[in-house]
Amino acid sequence: MGKRGRTWAALVVVLAVGLAVVLSACGSSNKSNTTAATSGGGAATNAAPAAGDVTKCGTKPGTKATGTPIKLGAIVTKQPGTDFTDGATTAQAYFNCVNDNGGINGHPIQYKYYTEQTDPAQIAGLAHKLIETDKVVGIVGGFSIIECAVDHKYWEGLGIYEIDAGIAPECYGTPNSSAPNMGPRYSSDGAVQAAVRAGAKKIAFDQSNVPGTGYIAAGPAAVTKSLNVPIQQFKDNVPIQDANSIAIKLVQAAGSDGGVVLNFTPPEALKILQAAQQQGLADRVKSWGCSTPCNTDFVAKALGTQWDGKLLVNAELNVTDAPGPQSTLYRAVLKQYGKNVTGGLGSFSQMGFSMAQFVVQALNSIKGEDYSLKSVNTAIKNVKNFKTDILCKPWYYGDAPLHIPNNTDWTTTPNKGKMVIKEQCFPISDADPAIKQVRAIEAKDPSLTGGS
Amino acid sequence: MPSFEDFKPFIVTGLALGGVYALQGVGIVVLYRATGVLNLAFGAVGAFGALLAWQLINHNGWAQGPAFVVCILFGGVVTLLYGLLFGPPLAARDPLVKAVATLGLALILLGAMSWIWSDKARSMVLPSSNHGFEVSNVLVNYTQVIAFGFAVVITVTTGLFLRFTNLGTAMRALANDREITATLGVPVRRVEAFAWLGSGLLAGAAGLLLSNLVGLDAATLTFLVISSLAATLIARLRSIYVTFIAAIVVGMVNALITPILSISQYRDMTPFVLATVALLVLSGRKNQALTGRAG
Repeated sequence: MGKRGRTWAALVVVLAVGLAVVLSACGSSNKSNTTAATSGGGAATNAAPAAGDVTKCGTKPGTKATGTPIKLGAIVTKQPGTDFTDGATTAQAYFNCVNDNGGINGHPIQYKYYTEQTDPAQIAGLAHKLIETDKVVGIVGGFSIIECAVDHKYWEGLGIYEIDAGIAPECYGTPNSSAPNMGPRYSSDGAVQAAVRAGAKKIAFDQSNVPGTGYIAAGPAAVTKSLNVPIQQFKDNVPIQDANSIAIKLVQAAGSDGGVVLNFTPPEALKILQAAQQQGLADRVKSWGCSTPCNTDFVAKALGTQWDGKLLVNAELNVTDAPGPQSTLYRAVLKQYGKNVTGGLGSFSQMGFSMAQFVVQALNSIKGEDYSLKSVNTAIKNVKNFKTDILCKPWYYGDAPLHIPNNTDWTTTPNKGKMVIKEQCFPISDADPAIKQVRAIEAKDPSLTGGS
Repeated sequence: MPSFEDFKPFIVTGLALGGVYALQGVGIVVLYRATGVLNLAFGAVGAFGALLAWQLINHNGWAQGPAFVVCILFGGVVTLLYGLLFGPPLAARDPLVKAVATLGLALILLGAMSWIWSDKARSMVLPSSNHGFEVSNVLVNYTQVIAFGFAVVITVTTGLFLRFTNLGTAMRALANDREITATLGVPVRRVEAFAWLGSGLLAGAAGLLLSNLVGLDAATLTFLVISSLAATLIARLRSIYVTFIAAIVVGMVNALITPILSISQYRDMTPFVLATVALLVLSGRKNQALTGRAG
């Protein structure tokens, strides 16, 4: 090697070492990033919540379940940019806790979930695999973009009553699916209601330009019509490439007496909100609203304190540091059994925990030792008046053409890097036809929600 | 149709975004002219640098200034390393092969970003975004001013550098004929290394500005380079001045379409439409010239 060659080689080595130092800084801080995620993946987490007792998971504290396993399964979306596995891993954590504390009448719950990449053929195949190969007797804890749409007919044919937390309209509009959340349409309804209550005389509603937006747009349109408030709807391609222009467009459309309501994933909503801040637009409208995805501490931290009290976020689930018994147990289970819950405390893990609780109550209600597909799904269908402080009102399944048991929400707002409750539980407007239908179902059978 | 008053703020956002597209475009053209490599990883390098700066500020307690410097240097170092390692073995290959190789780098960086930082919402606010001034009732912040001003400065400086310095002359010679230039005693690898380094530093700077103007999101910043590529195609990967003008036009048209609701949702097509129209026009002129010459 000549002198020049050696010089270049030395330069490459020096640069490589420099790069390694920089990347090692990144690697070591990745751990702290995970820690941050663990403590702030979802709604507000204030200091020192009450310590929970994990022996409350089961009926025989400290006794491991050793009987024949009861097999449950789920299908979950996991692909670049979309990881919904926290719900299933939290359900698994809760089932492990139940199994360590007596199980279901001595029977442990064996849980299997598969991940999918929004491929209908793959999802349909996994559904058959769960039933035919894995012999599961219940479908619980799934969270998928399109699973409900693909599989609901299959579940209906088998008599399976799925407990899921999905995005597709079929999760909330078919007889064999019931979720702990309400999905983007009704959450957008709630955000619009909050924006109007804050004084908006016109709404500019913007959402991502993806399939299914027409279904979502119909909700806010119906709500604003009932409130005699004009609405202008927009769709923007994601990922957003010019948030500044979009923010200006929305503020111009809303006007000084209006409100802007967003239905985007957190990173996209953040782009628009931040652009509005930097353009001096945040105070040029009466109110800003956002559907549930904005209800994370990551958004609150990224926005800074300038949006404290200003951004109204519809929250389908309680804040994660709520003091109630289910919230306390949820945190304890996550702490002791939730090593695989990468997002930590947050909406997804809250939903997974709640879904697991619903099915455990159903399984505990079965008399004798018959944990067949038929008996388990009959028990799931019969769950009603499940009181949990993670939801505004009792959860239920029941026999109905559609299920939206979560139809009463909180409004949260950023406060010093956390999301906190701004408005206590309020009903999603029954101007949205599906909500009206659900309220009629609840009125017809008050026992679903604890009435008589 | 919106009034002129409605359009005014979009002129500002269009100029700012066009400025950063120009910054990227100049970096891409200079590298292409010196090495024959169309660097498709330009956006990914900037995105990684910006996320690294965010990490250093928010999790390692760094001050903003040094973290921003690391972002820019990261762009330079990664791009230079790539050029040193893969430039020589790919030097004789087809330009398409060289471009696809950089796509590999982009995908590796994108994968690494997804692995390290997940898809959680995060933001980068440059201090200059918190201050600004009003022009005709439109708020202009200093990041927007810097984005446009920096693009002008870099374009002019690079143009002068290429024209009046030995290194710049060597780069232009390389662009014309690599073999003859090497025969004349020009240190080809050193010249190319300088081009890789300079281009990488611009990628880092552009990534930093875009993380504020557009958002700190790995995928967005990685693929935003498409708008800049459109500008470089309009300039036929030759003139940095035409690249600058084309980038500003892309940014402006993209922004000004926003309030026109009937076509607003198609505005992401702007770079492709402008590039296609420009290439068709240029191609038509070339054919006309050839036909004329033949006649």
